[in-house]
Amino acid sequence: MSDPHDLPKEVFLDEVHSFEFWFQAVAGYLTERPNGHDPSIEEADLNSSEREALITTLCNYAIGETAALEASSGMIRFAPNRRAKIFLATQVVDEARHLEVLLYRLSELGVTHLEEVVQSRANRSLLAFRKRLLQFVDGHDWEAALFAQNVILESMEFSVFQAHVERADPITGDMLTGIIKDERRHMGFGENELGRRLAETPHIRARLQAVKKELDPLVLDTFEDTLEQVGVERSERPELGRSYLASVERLGFAL
Amino acid sequence: MTDPLEDARSPRDRAARQRFVLDDTGFDEVPKKYRRFYRKWGGVNDALARNEVLCPVCKVVIRSTRELRPGDRVYCMPCMSRLVVSVGEGGRLEALVAY
Amino acid sequence: MSGFLSAYSIQNWLESCPQGYLEDTQYGHAPGQTEPALVLDNPTLLADTIRTTVQLVVGERCALAASSGLINAAPDHASKAFLATQTLDEARHVEIFTQRLYDLGVKKSELESTLAEHANPNLVKFAEVLLEKVDKGDFIAGVVGQNIVLEGMAFSVFEMLQAAVSGVNPKFANTLSGTIADERRHVGFGENRIGSLIKQHPERKADVEKMQKEMAYHMLATFSTQFAQSGSAMQEGQRMAQAAEGNGAEAPAKWHGADLATATPEEMEGVLSDTVLKEFKVRLGRIGIEYQTPAAP
Repeated sequence: MSDPHDLPKEVFLDEVHSFEFWFQAVAGYLTERPNGHDPSIEEADLNSSEREALITTLCNYAIGETAALEASSGMIRFAPNRRAKIFLATQVVDEARHLEVLLYRLSELGVTHLEEVVQSRANRSLLAFRKRLLQFVDGHDWEAALFAQNVILESMEFSVFQAHVERADPITGDMLTGIIKDERRHMGFGENELGRRLAETPHIRARLQAVKKELDPLVLDTFEDTLEQVGVERSERPELGRSYLASVERLGFAL
Repeated sequence: MTDPLEDARSPRDRAARQRFVLDDTGFDEVPKKYRRFYRKWGGVNDALARNEVLCPVCKVVIRSTRELRPGDRVYCMPCMSRLVVSVGEGGRLEALVAY
Repeated sequence: MSGFLSAYSIQNWLESCPQGYLEDTQYGHAPGQTEPALVLDNPTLLADTIRTTVQLVVGERCALAASSGLINAAPDHASKAFLATQTLDEARHVEIFTQRLYDLGVKKSELESTLAEHANPNLVKFAEVLLEKVDKGDFIAGVVGQNIVLEGMAFSVFEMLQAAVSGVNPKFANTLSGTIADERRHVGFGENRIGSLIKQHPERKADVEKMQKEMAYHMLATFSTQFAQSGSAMQEGQRMAQAAEGNGAEAPAKWHGADLATATPEEMEGVLSDTVLKEFKVRLGRIGIEYQTPAAP
């Protein structure tokens, strides 16, 4: 294979948004992780409070992944081109897979009545975020939905999961490592797709700035709450928020 | 319109560059044929080689078969970004996203 | 696999598709396989093959919009997960049939205009009936329309096409065998999941039956116009297949009693319509829906 950096732009974009690319990319890290983690890893000895905190955290991850599943599937219908439609279809299955492995992990931790438990432990700000995101999707608002989901939600998840991996029990850590690999694609798609649209139609910037302003408190509240559960020291939290802030800054939004 | 990034490297410029043989470092998030062009980033203490640059979007190290210079175009396949190499603080090479 | 995961899980999908029958394929067929010269070098066959492939892309685009749109309306996680895998299956079908158009010589810049020029208006109406239900978030009607009516039609059309090309076009036959394997799961989900929902909501039957009748009408109209346009290409294909057979190629198969080597377009239209409608009747009967005979187009 010659250097992929020599590919013409259109060939590169067609390649990375295709099912074929997704198919061969995920094969690398999903084959060895039936049900989301390496089956040879043994369960750690969690005490009662650690277990409860982990269950609450995973319940909120499940809410976030459900929101992403519902939003990405709804967006296919009004995605502006075939490339975006096919990419979103791969994202839909990624999100459903994440939801499935998170629920499986909760069942490994002894949780029964999964749907009820997940709802009962949901962070209110995250639920409000989900509701707003789905309103954008229902309104076929491509830019706002893409911004809320693939930039804001995905960046937040990317940062939180990375922080959690460093502190997690081995099984949860292995599961999250697999999820992070997918988030890279989702986040990159959102930023690049939106970046191209902003370059072509700069007038949408003001509207997205308003969307950001509306969603920021919900994102930051969810972020704080989850990092607290995961055990991240308060002093380390601003550093972890940088991924989200850097993304929106690259797109040219005021912080 | 011609993509300005397409013409970033002249043949003469290319000829003068150091070449690198890339090996597979175990990065498994792209199809096999592309894997040796990427590697995991080891954090701030990870010294990048002259053919490497960090993707600011997804924090993966992008590798080329030749030495990288400011103005070069590279692709980050794990996050689907098009990037241009530039000189950052302290003279280190960094990549800027080109939407 | 643990009992926690049903057959509708992503895990099950991963084990059967990417790690199963799709492994080592490229755009649905073995790497290196190409369209045969007898199609590429014959203007009549080439034009007809492009027109047929356009209908496949149009149908799969509809299936992609419908399956993704139904995820939000799905009442449980298992259905959402299954529809997520179906969404990706449909996106893959859009991709591989679009790639086939490129392999047949359609330029990338002319894709949308080629689709617009050749898309059968009756197939577009068929899609509109279904997508109207999806837009309303009507899960029961949406799944019947998508997974029983649309997929049931696709299943038979793909089988017929596969029988027709198996001896002369291994590339396309391979592509179709993967899509048929996908459709099997989709129709299975439609029947099994909706069967229980119809029992819980018998008041929905009349509306669903009305939609089925309407979709079946547009489907028959699609078959009618497609076969009417394909007459000379079918004759040409049969003539070339007979010549190839004389040179040792495999003889065209029979499909549901029709001899593909000699059948006229009218005969094939009759066999296909009859096969699909019978399938509808049986499948709908199993889930408690009474099949409605459409008017003749």
